[in-house]
Amino acid sequence: MNIFVLNSIRFVLFVLFQVLILNNLEPGLGLYAMIYPLFILMLPFQMGTVPLMLVSFVFGLIIDSFSNTFGLHASSAVIMAFFRPIIFKWLSPRDGYDSVEAVNVYSMGGRWFLYSYGTLLLIHHTWFFSIESFKLNEFVWILLKIGLSVPSSFLLSLLVQFIFISNKKAVR
Amino acid sequence: MRNLIAFFKRFQIFLVFVLLQIVALSAYIQYSEFARLQVFSSASSINGSLYQVRNSVTQHFNLEGTNRKLEWENARLREKLKGSNYKIDRELIQIEDTNYHQQYLYMAASVINNTYDKRNNYMTIDIGKNHGIQKGWGVISSKGVVGIVHLVGDSYSVVKTILSKNINVDVSMRDGGAFGLLKWDGINPKICQIAGISNDISIKKFTKVITRGGSGIYPKGIPVGVITKRKSIEGKPLWDLQVRIAEDFRSIQHVYVIKNVMLDELRELEGRIPPDKEEEEL
Repeated sequence: MNIFVLNSIRFVLFVLFQVLILNNLEPGLGLYAMIYPLFILMLPFQMGTVPLMLVSFVFGLIIDSFSNTFGLHASSAVIMAFFRPIIFKWLSPRDGYDSVEAVNVYSMGGRWFLYSYGTLLLIHHTWFFSIESFKLNEFVWILLKIGLSVPSSFLLSLLVQFIFISNKKAVR
Repeated sequence: MRNLIAFFKRFQIFLVFVLLQIVALSAYIQYSEFARLQVFSSASSINGSLYQVRNSVTQHFNLEGTNRKLEWENARLREKLKGSNYKIDRELIQIEDTNYHQQYLYMAASVINNTYDKRNNYMTIDIGKNHGIQKGWGVISSKGVVGIVHLVGDSYSVVKTILSKNINVDVSMRDGGAFGLLKWDGINPKICQIAGISNDISIKKFTKVITRGGSGIYPKGIPVGVITKRKSIEGKPLWDLQVRIAEDFRSIQHVYVIKNVMLDELRELEGRIPPDKEEEEL
């Protein structure tokens, strides 16, 4: 499938999943699971940082418009897009990323995925919750929110990949 | 000039990053001042209609509870009908029109989207500019205070609930009348705080808290909740009061928007109070 069409379909599906389902799951203790960072991670390797940030900005703005946060998600998405090439460079395999077609847990391996996505999620969630509350005296509460939300977002992203991405390559 | 272009090329990524952050964060911090940003909220018609579709699917899951609530409210309203009252004083003036003018008007609305777990929580309701809603009107439910209309679209509006930063609803104790401001610390969606009550006023646990009606947004006496905990703040002569709020934001479905007919008059009158000159004297 054309990579542009594929990513456009993903764009819509991630927005709907985040807005219609995850935004309504409010189990308490500030846990807020987010699936949309996975979309930014799964954008093609070849993309430059500037187009990456622009796509993330628009993507975040659309999520903002549904959750009444007016730029909070957009800001967090842009910071994640900014750090993505840095983290990727830092974790790059011996022979580079040339032979890799798609970014997911099958093509890159669990260890790589844990390090790169885990770090990016931590950056994203820390930024999101700090800007959301913007008060130093809620520090412990922000830490609790980050500590609960990062693992749940990570597990959710793993689950989504296990369900929706076929691992033909790994079997072969 | 060439150096400038070279500079921009070299730091292109970082400059775009900073630019996008400035746009996003300034929108987040001062969204209420940009009227145009309302397009990017659930008050806009595209987002509103998507939420309406979702609500038409999910509202049936709570039909039983909603029915019970409406039945209870119907019964309560029936008790207030003239027919169910026994008149004691036969000499009371009958004609209510000349002695009582209607001050508050109510409009029913359905909640089509709401949150209770974020730092600022908003609720989207299915009436808007076409129904005459304006920014700043109060919103209550059959149980108690809900919030204030924040953004108004053509046929949807966004309500800022009392589970928000800086919501500052005027509240007072039903017994005693001590008054303060309702605040929320962002932790528990069932517990709010009251600030600004001096700790030489005795306040008992389980005192009912009602709206004060001071700002003209809500009528006096709308229930807010019950005091559950009382501590004195260290170093300040104030109480730290915890209130269990009457409304359960996890299952709210129907609300009433309140119009105060005399709000403009009240605002105009209060606007004439000269501002404090104290700082200049000091």
